[in-house]
Amino acid sequence: MGKATVIPFGPQHPVLPEPLHLDLVVQDEKVVEAIPQIGFVHRGLEKLVETRDYNQFLYVCERICGICAAGHSIGYAETIERLMGVEVPKRAEYLRVIWHELSRVHSHLLWLGLAADAFGFESLFMHAWRLRERVLDIFEKTTGGRVILSVVKVGGVHRDIDDSQMKEIIYVLDGIMDDYRKIMNTLLTDYSVKNRTVGVGTLSHEEALALSMVGPFARASNVNYDVRSLGNGAYGDLSDFQPILDAQGDCYARVKVRCLEVLQSIEIIKELAAKMPAGDISVTVKGSPAEGAEVCNVLEQPRGECYYYARGNGSKNLERMRIRTPTSQNIAGMVSALKGCDLADVNMVILTIDPCISCTER
Amino acid sequence: MAFQSEFINIAIADLSDCAANRKAEGARYVQTLAVNTEAGVDLIYTFMAGDKIDNYKIPAVSKDDVVPSISQDFLAAFVWENEIHDLFGITFEGIAIDFGGAFYDLAVKEPMTVISPAQLAAREKAAKIAAAKAAKEQAQAASAPANADAELEAKLAGMDPEKAAKVRAAMEAKAKKEAAAKAAEKDAEMEAKLAAMDPEKAAKVRAAMEAKAKKEAAAAAQQKEGE
Repeated sequence: MGKATVIPFGPQHPVLPEPLHLDLVVQDEKVVEAIPQIGFVHRGLEKLVETRDYNQFLYVCERICGICAAGHSIGYAETIERLMGVEVPKRAEYLRVIWHELSRVHSHLLWLGLAADAFGFESLFMHAWRLRERVLDIFEKTTGGRVILSVVKVGGVHRDIDDSQMKEIIYVLDGIMDDYRKIMNTLLTDYSVKNRTVGVGTLSHEEALALSMVGPFARASNVNYDVRSLGNGAYGDLSDFQPILDAQGDCYARVKVRCLEVLQSIEIIKELAAKMPAGDISVTVKGSPAEGAEVCNVLEQPRGECYYYARGNGSKNLERMRIRTPTSQNIAGMVSALKGCDLADVNMVILTIDPCISCTER
Repeated sequence: MAFQSEFINIAIADLSDCAANRKAEGARYVQTLAVNTEAGVDLIYTFMAGDKIDNYKIPAVSKDDVVPSISQDFLAAFVWENEIHDLFGITFEGIAIDFGGAFYDLAVKEPMTVISPAQLAAREKAAKIAAAKAAKEQAQAASAPANADAELEAKLAGMDPEKAAKVRAAMEAKAKKEAAAKAAEKDAEMEAKLAAMDPEKAAKVRAAMEAKAKKEAAAAAQQKEGE
């Protein structure tokens, strides 16, 4: 055995879109230990509830992260609605889920592009992001924004999607699905992709459970947990929702689960569009959260379960707002997956976890 | 919502056992959070089993308390224990990956325990709203004595006129005395407030109050002359 060496990885690294630092203890090109360090983009957003009222804070929450913006606005709004006992119209619930699932499609396609780029598969990167643009076009047409949508509010949503727009969305999604299947099949059957991902960074089902992992990272280790299956909001009206699982627990399984989730999200949108109820899209919310009232909420973000907590103080400002994002929950899993892998595979392990550091640090 | 959630109070001494029990049951660790309150920092540990979210709350933890880490049972907790240590100043013992206060590079020490003027204003506003609500409820309750006054008037009407006049005079004297005591109390409160103020500002407030009193007196005199 050679001498152990510590290799700093990040915070600025070609495969990392966001700053994350790892001290990799390496022996004979194998990672013995990985010590993570975050804190490079900590903005103290949770402290801002003191100066923004509960309606304004929705837009702060949305800006925690550009990729998960839609999810954060929905998760926050649902939390405040639970806190104040507000019942949202059914149509608003459907619209929220449609935008949220579109956001999952764009997030997974963004990840796919980044992962392909890391493989050295640049044409795949280009194709994945080309498809993602079409999803962003749908956002622009339906909400006016491409990344930060600002379409959700406490009590419902600001905008409706009419039948003709919905038909157009389905038409675009069908087109995306056809193109996406081609690139997905290429990715999942490509020799070089398999060579880099199969058997790399493996975490067993037991390890994934012990590490309390969430999202596609956990589901690739056969952990049957997806917040959507709890049936919150319009998810409860889906005829049959089954989380996408894989038993292998390696980088390839994580790639596969995410790839299949894109198709699943498109199917969810199509089903909800067909079942869309008529009616109002919002209710008026008056008053303030009661002093000492506290609630929690969970939502399946593209990277996994996100936990929200809010406590009122009798005023329009919240006493505390807390967002536990999926990547932060998966850091322990990432550290464990890195142990024992080759130094050259570190970037593959990190990318297949799809870390979102802006979310983690808030 | 299709999941259930509950908040359960526990003591620091019960935390390790609670975490070990939840792990043995196969529950999933969700998160740890802290809330800064006037009494101390509330710590909330969340576990989930099936569709049930259990939030275990340790109320009013002080900076002198040492909280046992649960990262030996649930490694994922190390992130939050380090974060709470850096942002709230709570000490955790035995964190699996301990950054020793260097998890975040902060400009202000323990920033989440700093009560900002905005937060203070929000709390004061909430207290005022609560006081106004209580006063409204009291006023509603006081409408019952108004009925009692009507009953008394009916009683006095049935009395010997001389005796009734005496009772009325005694009641009026009592009401005047109470009103005078209330006014004196109000003046004392105002004086205390003015004493705590910036002298220049206090002088301005005094001048405004005097002008207001003069105006009111003049209006009253005018009304009397008109009569």
